[in-house]
Amino acid sequence: MGDYRRFTFPFSAITGQEKMKKGLLLNAVNPRLGGVLARGEKGTAKSTAVRALAALLPEIEMVAGCPFNCDPDDYDRLCRLCRSRLADGRRLERACRQVRVVDLPVSATEDRVVGSLDFEHAVKHGRPRFEPGLLASANRGIIYVDEVNLLDDHIVDVLLDAAAMGVNVVEREGISYSHPAEFILVGTMNPEEGDLRPQLLDRFGLCVQVEGVTDPGERVEIARRREAFDADPLGFIAQWSEEEQRLRERITAARRLLPAVIIAPELLDLISGLCLDAFVAGHRADIIMAAAARTIAAWNGRTGVEESDVYEAVELVLFHRAREAPPPPPEQPEPRDEQEEQEEPPEQEEEDDDSREQEQEPPEEPAETPPPGQQDPEPEEKEQQEEQKQDGEQEQDAPSPAAPQETVFTVGQPFPVKRISRDRDRILRKGSGRRSRTKTASKAGRYVRSAMQRKNDDLAFDATLRAAAPHQTRRPREGVAIAIEPVDIREKVREKRIGNFLLFVVDASGSMGAQQRMVETKGAILSLLLDAYQKRDRIGMVAFKGHTAETLLPPTSSVEMAHKLLEELPTGGKTPLSAGLIKAFEVARAHLYKDPNISPLLIIVSDGKGNVSMGAGKPLAEARRAAEIIRDEERIKTLVVDVEKDGFLAFGLARELAATLGAGYYKIDDLKADTLVQAVKCLNDA
Amino acid sequence: MDEFKKIYPFSAIVGQDEMKRGLLLNAVNPKLSGVLIRGEKGTAKSTAVRALAALLPEIEVAPDCVYGCAPDDLTTMCAQCRERLAADGELPRKRRKMRVIDLPVSATEDRVVGTLDIEKAIKKGEKHFEPGVLAQANRGILYVDEVNLLDDHIVDVLLDSAAMGVNTVEREGVSFTHPANFILVGTMNPEEGELRPQLLDRFGLCVNIAGIPDPALRVEVVKRRAAFEEDPEGFARQWEEEEERLRRQIVAAKALLPAVRISDEMLFLIARIAVEMGVDGHRADLVMMKAAKTTAALHGREEVIEEDVSRSVDLALLHRMRRKPFQDLAMDREKLQGVIGGPRQSHQHNHAH
Repeated sequence: MGDYRRFTFPFSAITGQEKMKKGLLLNAVNPRLGGVLARGEKGTAKSTAVRALAALLPEIEMVAGCPFNCDPDDYDRLCRLCRSRLADGRRLERACRQVRVVDLPVSATEDRVVGSLDFEHAVKHGRPRFEPGLLASANRGIIYVDEVNLLDDHIVDVLLDAAAMGVNVVEREGISYSHPAEFILVGTMNPEEGDLRPQLLDRFGLCVQVEGVTDPGERVEIARRREAFDADPLGFIAQWSEEEQRLRERITAARRLLPAVIIAPELLDLISGLCLDAFVAGHRADIIMAAAARTIAAWNGRTGVEESDVYEAVELVLFHRAREAPPPPPEQPEPRDEQEEQEEPPEQEEEDDDSREQEQEPPEEPAETPPPGQQDPEPEEKEQQEEQKQDGEQEQDAPSPAAPQETVFTVGQPFPVKRISRDRDRILRKGSGRRSRTKTASKAGRYVRSAMQRKNDDLAFDATLRAAAPHQTRRPREGVAIAIEPVDIREKVREKRIGNFLLFVVDASGSMGAQQRMVETKGAILSLLLDAYQKRDRIGMVAFKGHTAETLLPPTSSVEMAHKLLEELPTGGKTPLSAGLIKAFEVARAHLYKDPNISPLLIIVSDGKGNVSMGAGKPLAEARRAAEIIRDEERIKTLVVDVEKDGFLAFGLARELAATLGAGYYKIDDLKADTLVQAVKCLNDA
Repeated sequence: MDEFKKIYPFSAIVGQDEMKRGLLLNAVNPKLSGVLIRGEKGTAKSTAVRALAALLPEIEVAPDCVYGCAPDDLTTMCAQCRERLAADGELPRKRRKMRVIDLPVSATEDRVVGTLDIEKAIKKGEKHFEPGVLAQANRGILYVDEVNLLDDHIVDVLLDSAAMGVNTVEREGVSFTHPANFILVGTMNPEEGELRPQLLDRFGLCVNIAGIPDPALRVEVVKRRAAFEEDPEGFARQWEEEEERLRRQIVAAKALLPAVRISDEMLFLIARIAVEMGVDGHRADLVMMKAAKTTAALHGREEVIEEDVSRSVDLALLHRMRRKPFQDLAMDREKLQGVIGGPRQSHQHNHAH
């Protein structure tokens, strides 16, 4: 069906973004690099570049008419059709075709991805036949996913499964079939919209971080070219065709040269050393880095890999795999090493649950990261001292209302917070709480696949038809082409992308500035955020200070955004506790309205010393009323984290607040103490 | 035209000039890719969008094409039209108004992207694609009331197709790709929650509106509304002349637009504003440039002047600024004045090097 042709912006006309272009071109030269993920802010030509690459891809030889694009010279990987053709004594006709780019839209359903029963054929002939899906067309080609982080978990599982084996095994709807499915993944994503699963992330051979260009001259050039393309796409493409041809020739030349490129053993040692330093999981990084270095050499027209090629490959290969920023190599004065250090710190993308404890470093502060277990108090103390120096006048409690000074505190060291999340599990989760289990019982959510189980009359029409199709030659049909019987009925299995909803309600008033409470608080929130991220929860943040409360972060799954906001959150002014509570209540209720299945959990981080009211009432009385309102909405759960230090002057107001709310109550220090308990327990269990 | 009789005329909306400007610019230049109207309840947001439908210019389409393909534009044509063009050498054509397609908040994914044609499947045992809302919205306006309440997975789908102007369907047994170039117009009340940043960026322009504080104007709003409700047709007739004038202005601007030039100086000004104001990515530059050109065209000018640029800044940047905690979604006026006030010197300064 519909073969819609796109006219895309030419690759060579893209201004700047050299790293991304390089990553893509290297993949065009060497498919064994395993694809590339372009990660970056919106509007930075990510999608444009990937689309444009399609036009530059080389031609490969394949069996004519084979739906799986089999390689006629690679007997081991031939599909069933080609094998049976050979077995019948027929020859495999050859054809040359450009490497294919198969689009995988985020709305794709399972049947189209893996392939399914050929429904038309089944109706006409009464026999099941396999209809190849996207994985079939993508064999020996590229699967392209725009906004790959929005892809459904179930579809991701299917992709990973096929990618791991290089084979797509289909057992469904009376069809049993398997075919080769070797593809490379090319994707784009905006981290603000949430991160990728580490398993999927690792499938991308290379990863590039894309940023906007800041040079006005270049920006003008970008705007000018885009405008020229929009005004006359065909003319613009023609204008750049020569440049495109030159690139295409360079790719072909590099491809031809590639098998001859050799890499010296010392450089292989260098590669494994670099990978070890970056604490990567598994060996994929080493293999891909060697391949990337060889491809870079071929791209530069050399048959020997040089050290500079390896360093160029490092960034592309380790960016998404490093679990700590690559540490500075000792006594190596090369400028490239510096570059490597400056490289963006790694995201919090853990391989699995076991290693979580070792990986609680905040993404932005690799330099200050203490070793695992982090009982080393030094960095924190140093930080605190610095803070104290800077904010001497903030030391006094009770902020003076005349001059509500604003201070932005740094984020304290985060720490693992296992206990809390377990409590939360008990309250909110029914099953194991992995995101993929959050299938919804209602008709809301995205249709990903079908099942025979009948629950809520949510008819999966396509699956029902496929189930009925093979029986049509035997069934009486009255004027219709398809007679459907109750046994054929299939229902839709829908999936929602989120687990829990955690709403942080953060006190940013002046009193939080005292005794470095805010530093600790930010650290605590970050820890909870990281925990939420690993659990694939959705998060939001409300902060209150001065006279107002504000929704800093509407419900999102992006920890990156939350972290950025947390860093910038200023402290100062009075404590409008009641306003904060009401705002949080509104956000939580709005979320309930959108998503009745998910109970929001409010995490209130404060000392409870409300001193500004919204109306005429006393601040604390008003806060109590607000707390009662929240308590009366049964679907909203709450938890209070008290940041007040124990001592003679402790008011215990946060404890009172927790009591009014009927909420769980924690001292900020308890969170850390729990970690110790937990760590000890883990050791004993092991 | 009967269907438009009951719609409140665009030109009769009191005040809210920024919103009206945002909508008009999009009517002239669909490449601006839409406008997001943020504001409190009862500020004529929806009224204005509905009213705009009556002002939209006519476009040339292939009559039996679901996607309303432009008969002369090979680059955005659906596969079927392209085949026909190749076979017959020419496509039939007719003129019709640009459409406004509603996307209700309760819409399901299959209706949005399109799905298996059930009737054909049952009756003929064949598999066909049944186009959805995105197909209808091609070359028109896709209007989402309360866009911030849209389900997340519908937003994902919108992002996917809005990015490239193409809708790719791989679901429920059908595989299909068709053009989906639409102008995304949304209204929202920020009290009910914000939009996801990625979706926010897809709206070319954004306006913040508030109720009118001037008592005299408020009285005028009530008076006109009452008059409209009493006798919609009479009211429409009363405003017909004004509406016609606007319609002509839009058509004239549309015709003039391809000829509008923008100087390097203005382009540098735009780039500097974008860099100084700290926006993500490059879409802001492109939108500012397009908005400035369209503004010039609306004023009947062939050359973009500084005023066109400065009038486009708010529309293009308001929703693209990186927000810091406890800062309103509003512009840093002083900073902006600094950039707009002193671009010439620094431009020359650049040349001196």
